[in-house]
Amino acid sequence: MAPSTQFEVSQPPTDVVGTVVFAPNSNKLLVPSWDKSVYLYEVGDSAEDAKLVNSYEYRAPILDACFGADDNEAFTAGLDREVTRIDLSTGEKTTLSKHSEPVRCVVYSPEHRLLISASWDGTLHIHNLAAPDQSPVTVALPGKPHAMAASPSKLVVAMTARLVHIYDLPSIATALSNSSSEAAAASIQPWQQRESSLKFLTRAVACMPNDAGYATSSIEGRVAVEWFEDTAESQARKYAFKCHRQTAPEEEGGGDIVYPVNALTFHPVYGTFASGGGDGTVALWDAEAKRRMRQYQKFPDSVAALGFSRDGKYLAICVCAGFETGMENYDGKGKTKLFLRELGETEAKGKGAK
Amino acid sequence: MGKKKRGHPDVEELLARPWCYYCERDFEDLKLLISHQKAKHFKCDRCGKRLNTAGGLSVHMNQVHKETLDKVENALPNRQGLEIEIFGMEGVPEEIVQQHNQRIVTNFYTAQAERHAATGNPPPGHSGGQGPAKKIKIETPDEIKRRLAEHRAKVAAQKAAAANGGAVGIPTDGQSPGQVVSPFPPPQPGFPYPAPAAGAPPFAAGQPFPPAFPAGPSPPPGAATAFNLPARPPSGAPPSALPQRPPYFYNGSGAPPPGFSGTSSTVDELVAGASRQGDDIDQLIRMAEAGIKPAKPAAPAEETGEKKSKKDKEKNTRMVYGDTEISPEEKLALLPSYKLVEV
Repeated sequence: MAPSTQFEVSQPPTDVVGTVVFAPNSNKLLVPSWDKSVYLYEVGDSAEDAKLVNSYEYRAPILDACFGADDNEAFTAGLDREVTRIDLSTGEKTTLSKHSEPVRCVVYSPEHRLLISASWDGTLHIHNLAAPDQSPVTVALPGKPHAMAASPSKLVVAMTARLVHIYDLPSIATALSNSSSEAAAASIQPWQQRESSLKFLTRAVACMPNDAGYATSSIEGRVAVEWFEDTAESQARKYAFKCHRQTAPEEEGGGDIVYPVNALTFHPVYGTFASGGGDGTVALWDAEAKRRMRQYQKFPDSVAALGFSRDGKYLAICVCAGFETGMENYDGKGKTKLFLRELGETEAKGKGAK
Repeated sequence: MGKKKRGHPDVEELLARPWCYYCERDFEDLKLLISHQKAKHFKCDRCGKRLNTAGGLSVHMNQVHKETLDKVENALPNRQGLEIEIFGMEGVPEEIVQQHNQRIVTNFYTAQAERHAATGNPPPGHSGGQGPAKKIKIETPDEIKRRLAEHRAKVAAQKAAAANGGAVGIPTDGQSPGQVVSPFPPPQPGFPYPAPAAGAPPFAAGQPFPPAFPAGPSPPPGAATAFNLPARPPSGAPPSALPQRPPYFYNGSGAPPPGFSGTSSTVDELVAGASRQGDDIDQLIRMAEAGIKPAKPAAPAEETGEKKSKKDKEKNTRMVYGDTEISPEEKLALLPSYKLVEV
């Protein structure tokens, strides 16, 4: 029997989870949930040795969270329409900005000390944490943002109507430090405006750790991999593929049942990536070789969030009740499970392009 | 009457053949099966070493190549697990054995019924007195298409009815919302087989609907097509030729699955359930034989993706979440239980 390297973490969040994120310097794991709490876990020497360290209560469901400059600083975004900084050691919360609608995503760029929040009010708030007194700059978006991710130098925002905007972080940082908020807001323009390679609503975005490109996934069982560089050569390399599908039984007319791909995350060391779908599976892909490397055993429910630890040793997998069209009485309470997988040394290592 | 085999093995012979847990293929003898398993399922893809069991291969991968084996190669999608130690016919779970036997028996009787229908011979022990000699009705492609369209419409109508009726709708053979949410394939509902007049011969296709089946309220689509069927290849809907077997449940516990109550289930449901049971595994096998990987494309190369998407347009796909403008999170946010409490 293969040695089991996957463990279920005790005391999981009690409701839907949108994100799982590891701390930059330790194996702390931050999990925001719709149960109006943010949970902090710590993984010890093995995946088995993971425990709940603390949980922080909010007044509304929290949709996204990210770590800040160190392992004790985190930022959260939620239905309370606020972007909040939280000190994980003391639990002290500070509201950084207010949107007029729930805040969907929050991303921190440690390279540029920028915190960017994206809200359903159709704006980005860019906080320059190098100058904490400066009020956040608002950037209008052409659509509602659904997913956002940052690489060392780029910020990718995926919106409704299949819009994708890519911002250049160094130039935003320069604009913020050189001019007033109003002038900066006017000067911030997307570095690139793209149409999603996928025909359906974008579900997740993840950036390659080597700053070369990003992957997007949609509700229609598909993942696209694209490169930032705007040359014909680089753009010709982009591709999309189907995944997270199941064949329907014959008496329903056959065909495929297509699940949304809820989560994408790149391995920080090898540059391969993992996808998690509504079919309850997690697959590891080699973006260079265009190959699937692994597919893990099915999870009991839809995979909602994935996150690699910074050294790539652990993969956190959060499983919730799946969403479906026409589910007015959705109830995900008590169905959330958090798994930790300890990866073998070469488990996520790609074989290189063929 | 003298027994003429005519090259058709009888059902006992079929059941006695050793078969592979991982891919449902059967073999002449155990030696062949074991060598098949070593070559197809327990072979190391790094060095080609053939191991005896999945566990052996896992240990080998770990020690020699420092890799983790996460599934058995070339196995049917729901048989890829490493938890079960299989060697030849040893270690196969009881419910899987029963499922396999059931499939063999079903296929056997389907084939037999077809032969009887095709030749016009009555089933053994029913020489004459069974009604008029069977006529082979040959459907034109148009007729078949029309029938398919009718069947589709019926399925769609039932689905719609189930959707409108909520949880307590008409029992259809479609998936209930709960099943769709589940990432697992339909949970192999443990419907017992209808046991009308035990010992009655499997009625040949084309025969009138046997009286043992009480005419239930609107037969489910699977059954509806099957009952009026002339001879068709086994890939069609085999439920009409289902043999009579004592009821048992697939969930292995021997107890009725939750939701099943002996009295409330109509025969239609039972038949539909039984047909699905057969279809599931048969379909998996057919797909495996055709080399189709059901879950995902093996290589997400752009070229193949392009080709497949063209093919896909003909294939009907059903999206679990189909709203192209509003994300699930936005819908969730509207639910009263997540409403923001203003302070």
